[in-house]
Amino acid sequence: MSNRYITRHITFLVTVISIALFSFTSANAQDGEALFKANCTSCHAVKEKMIGPALKGIGNRRSEEWLIKWIKNSQAVLKTGDEYAVKIFNDYNKVAMPSFGLKDEEVKAILAYVKAEEQKPDAPVAGAPAGGTTPVQESQPIWLYLLIAASILYLLSAVLGRVQHTLARTVRQNEGLPEPAPKTRWESFRHWFRNNKKLVAVILIFLTLYGSVKGWYSLQSIGISQGYTPEQPIAYSHILHAGDLQIPCVYCHSGAERGKVAGIPSANVCMNCHKYVRKGPTTGTAEIAKIYKALDYDPDKGTYGPNQTPIQWVRVHNLPDLAYFNHAQHYVVGKVACQTCHGPVQDSMTVAGQYSPLTMGWCINCHRTTKVNMAGNAYYNDFHKQLLSKYGADSLLTVQTIGGLECARCHY
Amino acid sequence: MSKKYWKGVEELRNDAEFVRLKNNEFYENLPLDQVIEKKAQDVNTTPRRDFLKFLGFSVAAASLAACEAPVRKTIPYLIRPDQITPGIANWYASSYFDGYDYCSVIVKTREGRPIKLEGNPLNAVTKGGVNARVQASILSLYDDARYKTPISGGNPSSWEVTDKAIIEKLTAIAAKGGKIRILSSTIISPSTKKVIADFAAKYPTTKHVVYDSVSASAMRQANQESFGLNVIPSYNFDKANVIVALDADFLVNWISPVEHARQYAETRKLNGGKKSMSRHIQVESALSVTGSNADLRIPVKPSQQGAVAANLYNAVAAGTGASAIAASALDAETAKKIASVAKELLENKGKSLVVCGVNNTAIQNVVNGINSLLDNYGTTIDLDNANHLRQGSDTDLTAFLDELNKGEVAAVFVYNSNPVYTLPNGAAFAQDLTKKVELSVSFSDRPDETSAVCNYVSPDHHAFESWSDAEPRTGIYSVGQPTIAPLFSTRQAEESLLLWSGNPTNFHDYMAAYWSSAIFSKTSGSWNKVLQDGVFELPAAVTKNYKTSANLNTAAETIGKMSASGFELVIYEKVGLGNGQQANNPWLQELPDPISKVTWDNYIAVSPKDAREKGWKQGNVVTVKAGTISVKAPVVIQPGQAFGTASLAIGYGRTVAGRVADNRGVNAYPFTSLTGGNINMSVGGVDIQKTADEDYMLAATQTHHTMMGRAIVKETSLAEYIKDPKAGNEDELLTIKVGKGEEVKKKAGDLNLWGDFDNGNHHWGMSIDLNSCIGCGACVVACTAENNVSVVGKDEVNRSREMHWIRIDRYYSSDADPKEGESGDIKKMEDPSDMPRVVFQPVMCQHCAHAPCETVCPVIATSHSSEGLNQMTYNRCVGTRYCANNCPYKVRRFNWFRYTDNPQFDFNMNNDLGKMVLNPDVVVRSRGVMEKCSMCVQRLQDGKLTAKKEGRKLVDGEVKTACAQSCPTHAITFGDYNIPDSELNKMWNPDERSYHLLGELNVQPNVYYQTKVRNIEEGKEA
Repeated sequence: MSNRYITRHITFLVTVISIALFSFTSANAQDGEALFKANCTSCHAVKEKMIGPALKGIGNRRSEEWLIKWIKNSQAVLKTGDEYAVKIFNDYNKVAMPSFGLKDEEVKAILAYVKAEEQKPDAPVAGAPAGGTTPVQESQPIWLYLLIAASILYLLSAVLGRVQHTLARTVRQNEGLPEPAPKTRWESFRHWFRNNKKLVAVILIFLTLYGSVKGWYSLQSIGISQGYTPEQPIAYSHILHAGDLQIPCVYCHSGAERGKVAGIPSANVCMNCHKYVRKGPTTGTAEIAKIYKALDYDPDKGTYGPNQTPIQWVRVHNLPDLAYFNHAQHYVVGKVACQTCHGPVQDSMTVAGQYSPLTMGWCINCHRTTKVNMAGNAYYNDFHKQLLSKYGADSLLTVQTIGGLECARCHY
Repeated sequence: MSKKYWKGVEELRNDAEFVRLKNNEFYENLPLDQVIEKKAQDVNTTPRRDFLKFLGFSVAAASLAACEAPVRKTIPYLIRPDQITPGIANWYASSYFDGYDYCSVIVKTREGRPIKLEGNPLNAVTKGGVNARVQASILSLYDDARYKTPISGGNPSSWEVTDKAIIEKLTAIAAKGGKIRILSSTIISPSTKKVIADFAAKYPTTKHVVYDSVSASAMRQANQESFGLNVIPSYNFDKANVIVALDADFLVNWISPVEHARQYAETRKLNGGKKSMSRHIQVESALSVTGSNADLRIPVKPSQQGAVAANLYNAVAAGTGASAIAASALDAETAKKIASVAKELLENKGKSLVVCGVNNTAIQNVVNGINSLLDNYGTTIDLDNANHLRQGSDTDLTAFLDELNKGEVAAVFVYNSNPVYTLPNGAAFAQDLTKKVELSVSFSDRPDETSAVCNYVSPDHHAFESWSDAEPRTGIYSVGQPTIAPLFSTRQAEESLLLWSGNPTNFHDYMAAYWSSAIFSKTSGSWNKVLQDGVFELPAAVTKNYKTSANLNTAAETIGKMSASGFELVIYEKVGLGNGQQANNPWLQELPDPISKVTWDNYIAVSPKDAREKGWKQGNVVTVKAGTISVKAPVVIQPGQAFGTASLAIGYGRTVAGRVADNRGVNAYPFTSLTGGNINMSVGGVDIQKTADEDYMLAATQTHHTMMGRAIVKETSLAEYIKDPKAGNEDELLTIKVGKGEEVKKKAGDLNLWGDFDNGNHHWGMSIDLNSCIGCGACVVACTAENNVSVVGKDEVNRSREMHWIRIDRYYSSDADPKEGESGDIKKMEDPSDMPRVVFQPVMCQHCAHAPCETVCPVIATSHSSEGLNQMTYNRCVGTRYCANNCPYKVRRFNWFRYTDNPQFDFNMNNDLGKMVLNPDVVVRSRGVMEKCSMCVQRLQDGKLTAKKEGRKLVDGEVKTACAQSCPTHAITFGDYNIPDSELNKMWNPDERSYHLLGELNVQPNVYYQTKVRNIEEGKEA
């Protein structure tokens, strides 16, 4: 716990210091970054071609004065018949750059940012991510502490045993008693066994009980895939998308709002962002390229080809056919947060795993305890009154009281 | 007052065999010998230790196996279509017409798979109704017998090769002026007709020949002769006070049954204190579904039909002052009845309707004459807004067959029809087609007898893979859109024809262009709106009164010559298979015939009287011989069958349809004949001889699940009902002993052993109006589709193990007392049971509040919900079957086997394609568990969730069970007792017609029934 805490703090400090140092060296670039991201990133990147050209080295290719004119109103520059401008316009599918109502200083700030960016070395691919988004290392496993404790105890008992042994011999020597005949280990164990029958019985009973209980629970867990986290064809990170970038769950799993199936998003949903975001912070272009490959998409030309192959994700949550579960009922009507069943996906799941056991007992327990809020939904109007007169208070109305434990709610 | 009903003649006669069966729920001894194999006979010698070893091993194996869960993939769309959300159904308006059945439908799709059909309420013809066959067509889409590629010379081929060869041959034939014929069933698509016209323009020797497997050609000819209009009129049964049907099964088969059934039911309902209803008289030979609903049924032989029409004409003419026509005399009883019918018709001039299903121009002309005298044109019959569902011309067909036989035809294209199977002389057609024609092409989407002998098969899409439009009635349009990408390498027939005529456009564009030029030019409309609604209407023409100008004396003369000797055989259509084109559909094969309750077979139905005289028993195999045609078929003793007649259904005896249909039953089409210019559906001089063959096993659901002779269908007459609305619905009073020897009568409902349940937010229930239920079976198929009900096959049905969650009980009535029967008064019993009244009663789980099943379940797998449902939890069930034994309604079904992925049950659930029809919201039950009607709880939960998400109350009628939704006559009303003004509450009126089934048990069902009222005067007529 504390280790993690410290690691985090150190990481945080390092990040803050490096940012501070960086901002000190290029105050302009700081504003420039915000402006660049707000205005330019939908068509431009510093080092790659997108809808518009890569901006690396633009300061060397064109004068600042020309660039200011061009960025503020590209159409006007084109009308003057500027050779470079016309060539760029034709090279990029005659897509005109919109005019931006930016001040001269703002354009300069953007250019400064571009300059600062192009001098940075290429971000290393996978494994060495940038400061702020370092995935937290796994916490020290508890068994390590136990091992240390056990070895200390072992040492202690060994030392004490030795001390006792020495003391006993000293006493014997002092009192002139003979040394006892040496016993084999087996003989001494038998001796101990005979003299401690009650203790042995207690230990045996304890072990039997422990074994049965453990065995019972492990038998019960057969067929339950809690924790099942299969490897997926694309290393998609929920922590990055849902956590850091705070994309709502239903942006991709939009079926949850409408019906039974939350759904795996189709690749065109990915492309809403990844048409522009062509490099990720952890895996670079490698994983995003898999989406492009599935869609046969050429990021340089921005065109889709004919050889599209669907992405075969591995299904994580496998409810048996005999149970009917509807996402919309829970998410829209019941206003249950996704995390209630799926766990803190945005904080702890790079790859999605099955967080809950998905057993009937688990469902039923939730239906027994979850309170329903019927106010404001006209569907329940009369029924709500009827229930209040029966149960007395809203706080006593659970899913169970509105029939949520009845068989045919889930089994048909 | 209340009548005695029997589920079959066996019950009426109280045969020893029947009593044995009745007392034994399980039809036969449990087949333990099948379960325990021979080896296990030495089970006693198997040491107990071995058993323990096996036990230990299986526990270990199970634990080991459980440790490693299989890795399941989840593969999302790459680019998700924005209208598709996995887990949420999409509904598309579409249209179904297979040349026989028409329905405007809404298709439910899940993840791109159509899984269920519902009627489109916007359509003016079907108004939200769907019949059993159209309901089941969704499974025909997933038939693995379908063609997967084009076929050339019997072998799979490619489109390039086939197209090239066909175009080459066509060009060659056209160059030398060879005749090209397109033979099809009725086409109601204006765009398809234009495609054919385009094709004919490219190849001018082309002629389009239209014929129907069940022809109504004589009606068109008669209307041409009578009114100069070669049409079939639209009928307004809802405007008729008196309906007379002459051999027309208009509720389930004849021309536009979904439309007729709804209109008919409107005149039969007694909701909201209504005290009048139509009177329905049926004149027919075989007991049809329509006939079983009639107030008065007059059985006649087919050869007498003409005489009946002529006599009825004369009786009506006498009342209106018109001159009589020649008519041969009828027997006294029939003549008396016809006279009284004429009187009723005359009392309702302009509000009556006489329909005739006999494919005979002379009889149709006389019937036109009757309607004309009664001023029915312009009111109940609409000639100005014609019905287009039967356009076949027997004259054209005769001419075509003649040309073909002479070897004059060079190319034949067969579209949406199966002439080798359905023509009276299909074998001759097949010979001519193979030997005398250069190019024969079938557009069939699945193998059939005709496509098997064609040079090429250019497989069409299924209706739900295609674009289509339809004009079932003049000015009423519907369009169909694909709801799934084509499953196989098939191509829409229209596109094939367009391609071969040198126009490689896709049919959607062609159709849209046609609509904007030909239809939207008449009234403005938008293509997108039409696609969304599925329907489009032009203003209807004003309907006028017409008077016949046909020479009825000539017709009477023709009728006078009709005669037949000996036994007469009637060829009829069954509710399940119809004309047989969907024969490979296991849902339809397993749908019990509404009348005989036999599944998976057709049979020779004979009257009980004839059977007694000839010594035939149910299941005896007989040879039926008419001229050169002879078949062997089992006998079914059918009360209501006219004496001296037998009947045999078409649709069976397929040979090239798929493993479900092939060689099931016998083909009846060869008994039809194309003589006198029309296809006749009956034949005289039939010789029926019992063979020495072993009795045939007929799998009927008929005498199973007996209600032990208790009064379960309550019934009264209209006259009694007007006097006392509670007539026929007397409460069951129980005698209770109080004190010493004192007795009081109490209503069963006042005696409760258990307390009441608290109600939740809903209290679901259902009302079933026995007055509107026509027994058509649409609900059974709808339930099968909605709830993944397994098909079990003939053998298992025979063991009473059918899985249908809803069944339609059919009871015959009799005035005789079965006890007298035992004492020997056979004569008295004979009359009513030979010509019985019939009632239908749909029975599903009654969702009892005090359910007997719940109290006996040892593992609480069945329990009561706060919403009034009796819940069945499959995963909890251990299969003791105590619940089924304790259920007074016998609605619980046990899974004796695993019906999925089991080669023993090789139906749709045994292949990946057939499984695509399964509803993903409903569990597919496994072996060893009990199942039953859940009141479509998945639909209720879905409806509730929608309301909750939108934060509003659930509206009455918003959710419906599949059976209630599909009922063409709205006999089933589903609703919530907690909504005070719900339809369900409005209809619940125990002081009038509402009652609980087996009310004396006081199990407090949430389903209730409404007394059946017949428009008869008790004692005045039979």
